[in-house]
Amino acid sequence: MNVIVCLKQIPNPDLQFRIAADGKDIVREGVTFKTNSTDEFALEEAVRIKEKHGGKVTAITVGPPRTVQMLREAMAKGADEAVRVAYDDPAAVDPMQVSRMLAAAVKAIPHDLILTGVQSDDYAYSETGGLLAGTLGHPHASVVTKIEIQGKEAKVWRELEGGINEVCSLPLPAVVTVQYGMNTPRFAPLPAIMRAAKATIKELQAKDLGAASWDAFAAGYSLRVRSVSPPEAKGRAEMITGKVEDVAKAVATLLREKGFYRGA
Amino acid sequence: MGGDILIVAEHRDGKLLSTAAEAVRRARELAVKSGGKVIVAVLGSGVDAQAQSLASFGVEVLQVESPHLKDFTPDGYAQALTAIVAAVSPRLVLLGHTATGFDLAPRLATELGRPLVQGCVDVDLDGAKLLLSRKILNDKVLMQLELGGDAPAILTFRPAAWKPAEPAAGGSVKRIEATIDPAKIRRRFLAIEAPQVQDIDIAAADIVVSAGRGIQKKENLKLIEEFAKMLGGVVGASRPLTDSDWLPKTRQVGQSGKSVRPKLYVACGISGAMQHVAGMKDSAFIIAINTDPTAPIFEVAHVGVVGDVLQVLPAVMKELKSGA
Repeated sequence: MNVIVCLKQIPNPDLQFRIAADGKDIVREGVTFKTNSTDEFALEEAVRIKEKHGGKVTAITVGPPRTVQMLREAMAKGADEAVRVAYDDPAAVDPMQVSRMLAAAVKAIPHDLILTGVQSDDYAYSETGGLLAGTLGHPHASVVTKIEIQGKEAKVWRELEGGINEVCSLPLPAVVTVQYGMNTPRFAPLPAIMRAAKATIKELQAKDLGAASWDAFAAGYSLRVRSVSPPEAKGRAEMITGKVEDVAKAVATLLREKGFYRGA
Repeated sequence: MGGDILIVAEHRDGKLLSTAAEAVRRARELAVKSGGKVIVAVLGSGVDAQAQSLASFGVEVLQVESPHLKDFTPDGYAQALTAIVAAVSPRLVLLGHTATGFDLAPRLATELGRPLVQGCVDVDLDGAKLLLSRKILNDKVLMQLELGGDAPAILTFRPAAWKPAEPAAGGSVKRIEATIDPAKIRRRFLAIEAPQVQDIDIAAADIVVSAGRGIQKKENLKLIEEFAKMLGGVVGASRPLTDSDWLPKTRQVGQSGKSVRPKLYVACGISGAMQHVAGMKDSAFIIAINTDPTAPIFEVAHVGVVGDVLQVLPAVMKELKSGA
């Protein structure tokens, strides 16, 4: 059971962001990066499937040189090989283009299953897994919380709205996008971190994917950013500010006045 | 390509999802600009009631019937929809940003070779260009994309992005028997599983105090429980806490958990991702406490406190106890 897991390195979404002067992107200087959270669950699941069924896990990303660190972490957590598709657009806004690059790269890697997160926490399109499946012609299931490999099929539980699940079965090879909380990702043990630090990360350029340039993966239409801004503040809360004691007084008064506190 | 707007309606257990009516409202406005009409496709086996219900919004409904469409499968639905899109040649195809949308929209986009933009909070037409508003980076930043040319596009929109349409006259239903090749349905539907509930129903409570990642440690749940008890409320949670098993799944407020609309909702250390907000935005009164002043929870809250919930809550409880 060979599993490919697609990872994305994203700006830490817990940060506060500023808008760049041209109003087309966030300010990216000083931003710290992390592995997208649902991709972490996908990696853990891939490693667990390997541990149970044998085979190999390959971690792959499309991104700039900084993503090598993420791939090394993935290897320390159990990926056997790592591949970086060296397309370097810090603000790539079209998942179609990225999924075409991924498709070209994974075609050369024997696989039974491709896992990735259901969404990236930066752009939150929830497209890449589905587009990758469509491009490769693989069957696909999104928002998956549990996988059981049964011979040449994967039985998966998909999380629908309102907390109910759809159970379905997919012939392999297939693409599955992983929902938050599917498992508890492991920490990398120190010896594995040491080994991963020296491991080779395979780097793929456009020509390695059989293309003259990255433009060959362009989607054939123009999708670009018109503007980036703070969300309009139409429903903005009335803010209570000040020292903790003063804020607490104001909140307590409010709770009493509205009748939410009827205690002593 | 015409100027029609095609909506794919979702239904479950015989009922339409609210996204269908939400899309109709916006699609009507867009159709005026694009010079077309609104067409709603509903797929299934024996979906007369859903089709009639959609027609009551005053739109043209395509009732697409086949025994192979009884349960949702991406291969079955894609076969039916690619044929419809080819026949209608719409300006836009609108699907909900839902589990079904995630399966289906990318599939249609790759099969039809059309652009795909998911998770729109608004859609507009500017001449031949499509303007797509999306919230990114935990909903803290609004991004507007421009899709050039007059390329027909596949879009998903977030639930509750628009208000549902009101009923209107002039609707019609056209029934189509779809030709589906069952041999091409690779992913098989097995079952729908509903979780066993053995907990209080937070949706029935008048006051819900919910905790998020801002409480930092499981031990700090005691603080939330104590505060909820003081107010006579119950404890809810955002997804990361139930995912980490700090609280049972039954306490999760959000799109994939419970939808609540209590008299008072207190969001403690919750940033307010769409997933959570979808489940609590209709609460009568919302107080949010969060360290990040740009957190989107403050967009839906009535009263906001920028501060560490671990300091603010004890101080509020002290104030309440002191009776001042």
